[in-house]
Amino acid sequence: MALAVTAVASAAAPSTAGPSSVRISPSQYRQSIADIFGRSIAITGRFEPETRTQGLLAIGAARVSVTDSGLERYDELARGIATQVVDAEHRATLVPCSPHSAQGSDDECARTFLTSVGRLLYRRPLTEEEVQDEVRAAGETANKAHDFYAGLSAVLADMLISPNFLYRYEFVEPDPAHAGQVRLDAYSKASALSFFLWNTTPDKILLDAAQSGQLQTTQGLRRQVDRLVSSPRVEQGVRAFFSDMLGFSDFETLSKDPSFFPRYTLPVKDQSQEQTLRTIVDELVTRHGDYRDLFTTPHTFLTTSLAALYRVPLADTTDNGQPDHWFPYSYPPGDLRAGILSEASFTALYSPSGRTSPTGRGKALRETILCEAVPPPPGNVDFKFIEDTSNPEFKTARQRLTAHRSQPMCAGCHKLTDPIGLALENFDSSGGYRTTENGVPIDATGELNGHQFVGSQGLAKAVHDDPATTSCVATKAFAFETGYLPAVSDPQWRQIMDKFAASHYNFLELMRQIALSDLTYRVPSSALSAANH
Amino acid sequence: MTSKRYCGIARPRQNWVTTIAQGATVLVTLSFCCLSPAMAETHGYVISWFATATYNLNPQESCPNNRNGGRTEEYTRELRAIGYSEQQASAIMATQGGVLDPKYQRRYYMRGRVNGKPVSIYNYPESVPDPNIQTVTGKYAYGFDLGGNPSSKFEDPDTHEKIDNQLWRAVGCSHSFDTVPPAQPYFEDLTWALMVDTAPGWSMQISGDDLSKDGKVTVTLDLLTQHLKRDAAGNVLAGATYVIDPRLRSHSVLEGQINNGILTITKPGNIYLEGEMPFYSEIALRDTHMRVSIKPSGTLAGYWGGYLDWSRFVYMYTARADINGEDVVGLYWALKKMADSDPDPNSGQNRYISATWRMEALPAYLANSDGKIVAVPVNVPDNVNAAAAAAANK
Repeated sequence: MALAVTAVASAAAPSTAGPSSVRISPSQYRQSIADIFGRSIAITGRFEPETRTQGLLAIGAARVSVTDSGLERYDELARGIATQVVDAEHRATLVPCSPHSAQGSDDECARTFLTSVGRLLYRRPLTEEEVQDEVRAAGETANKAHDFYAGLSAVLADMLISPNFLYRYEFVEPDPAHAGQVRLDAYSKASALSFFLWNTTPDKILLDAAQSGQLQTTQGLRRQVDRLVSSPRVEQGVRAFFSDMLGFSDFETLSKDPSFFPRYTLPVKDQSQEQTLRTIVDELVTRHGDYRDLFTTPHTFLTTSLAALYRVPLADTTDNGQPDHWFPYSYPPGDLRAGILSEASFTALYSPSGRTSPTGRGKALRETILCEAVPPPPGNVDFKFIEDTSNPEFKTARQRLTAHRSQPMCAGCHKLTDPIGLALENFDSSGGYRTTENGVPIDATGELNGHQFVGSQGLAKAVHDDPATTSCVATKAFAFETGYLPAVSDPQWRQIMDKFAASHYNFLELMRQIALSDLTYRVPSSALSAANH
Repeated sequence: MTSKRYCGIARPRQNWVTTIAQGATVLVTLSFCCLSPAMAETHGYVISWFATATYNLNPQESCPNNRNGGRTEEYTRELRAIGYSEQQASAIMATQGGVLDPKYQRRYYMRGRVNGKPVSIYNYPESVPDPNIQTVTGKYAYGFDLGGNPSSKFEDPDTHEKIDNQLWRAVGCSHSFDTVPPAQPYFEDLTWALMVDTAPGWSMQISGDDLSKDGKVTVTLDLLTQHLKRDAAGNVLAGATYVIDPRLRSHSVLEGQINNGILTITKPGNIYLEGEMPFYSEIALRDTHMRVSIKPSGTLAGYWGGYLDWSRFVYMYTARADINGEDVVGLYWALKKMADSDPDPNSGQNRYISATWRMEALPAYLANSDGKIVAVPVNVPDNVNAAAAAAANK
């Protein structure tokens, strides 16, 4: 018998890590609906806000409930989707049977539809009790409304706001290989794999592998993981992971003062994220490249709007009136704009509205890319030197920070952050390329963990060469899959890291190893006892 | 007057445009073989602001007593023209909320008669008498000395030279032109905004051996293949890359010089830039002069002047009928009367009128249709709002 374990393990204490309930993200929701019902189903409305914990929304997702207002939002989304699925335009393709009469109930057809759709939405077969309840509810509504499809729509909407859809529950079952222990059941494993590698609900093949028990065998698991990793759809998983790791959800509240940064338009704000994701997919998925090369690669993708921001020429020779197109673009050797740290998705995201913040950028790099903690500023810190960009005595951010660090309470932490961020000063608050600030040439010398360098390319190489860079992305990828950080001393974790290194830091290989490792599906006995209680 | 003649005016003379374009093409060919290869650097720009060069700092001096009045006065005149008394017209206007009801406007504009049949006065402006709108009698206007009639010269407020700008004399007392940059004349303001977002833009290149120094330059004007981009503040985006339309129809090259940061044309010639209605359908000038300041911020601001086909200019207005309560027929007649160049051999009516536009341009990359960069921006302002830069340029 499978047990649902809803007690959530603390990410800070991996020893108690175990199965949990994880709320699916807005992008997972959208992708699931698209995969189940097709892309013609419009998803209109807003989602419950996500919560970032220990740097990842994926960890936060294992710790969040649904608020009253969130439930209203999900309900609105659900009704909109359900109405479309059974409307005249879609029912012929999405409802696999026709009722005896469209003016009343038809239990057999309702059962056919709800059983089929329910398996995809709940990512497991519905129990007979669930099926009976839903068929009965659909029939009652259909008879009241004199509309068979109204009954289907009502029940489908209910399924879409069910925790069984909105949450990815992890169920455990006795582990036949280890008496007295438990393991994730096959459907939970299928969901974990699919959301990790494809950022969506399991497809029919994966659910069939779970149903047949193949997914619980080493060979069966490997076959499915290889299938998922080799599919072009793994790009969705890579995009979802890096969007989370790089904090792109913060773009929702990011703004720049248009009078100071006129080139930072709304399209540029969206395109800057897409630029980085395209760069990542190209380097890691298309080229099967070394993860560390993301920081130094001269290859990226630009639109003409982004090119204007970075002050590089890019000709779009298509006809007038077209939306912005994407073009592959390679910077010449030594160009300061190469690598993802120089892209506006980083430099703009970690800058205030009207000025740069070397401190903010340095802190973000330590926390996001190197997984190193930086203490918050003391409550009584005086920011007067930093915020006054018009002070003729301190024309550059470097000069302002030097003055700020004269306050003893500030000096310690700023040593951790500022030498990193100052190397990115050739990029203004909007990510635009610049060579001067207030008429003074930019001094972009910097330092990271004892390595001194000049400019963004020096910083990129230092990050490329820092061992923390690869260990950080690996731990975050594991946490993205499981909802908690791994214990780095665990032998199985060391195996994953060794294989990642042996692959020359091939990120897809890292995903593959995480997906194959027992560590990912390990359920500690403490979780079982919690469930039994 | 015949209806054929009216049609000829309402639908502008393509042959003149073709002649100008061909002239420009010839010049292009000559210039390409003789000038471009020697040029060591080329700076690219896109035209970011363009309009009739207005000068209304002292309306009482330009248009004493403002006889044309504004929209209400014009609508009142229109009501009088269709038979209402002064008192009745005022009473109607009091109920109109500033815009004349279309039922009155239709009666007004269909009052023309050709061969006894009712016609639109906008299609047949000479089917009704000249309303004799007030024209500029003041001293000042922007422009260039085109060698016109000494008795009709203005004084340029910047250079204090005697200049020719009869277009301004014709339209300058009409309320839609009572503007001071950065505001454009009413109709050009409305339609420029539309053009920026939809119609291909215009580019300007300045080529020379060393553009940091005074010396000879080549000025090249082109149509672009795409409309301009806007920045986050709604102004034209500086520093973007645009592709030049390869068709030679809108390709003009002039010889000029830079002296103390001022670009002027040394060999005035023809220019032609294809536009799109409802903004100018074309910028076609003969005997083109320029006086353009090259600002430290990298932007350009100045004036283009020469002779243009007045019938093509006024078509932009007659094609629209009611524009902000402007007396379009009055504009037609004023332009016709003030035209000062190229008399028709048969009628003696001048077909061209001296005119000046104010323009601004922002640095941009320019590429040919193969994507090769042919001009680079100079000094794209760091963190500078284009509008702020433009304001600082004034």
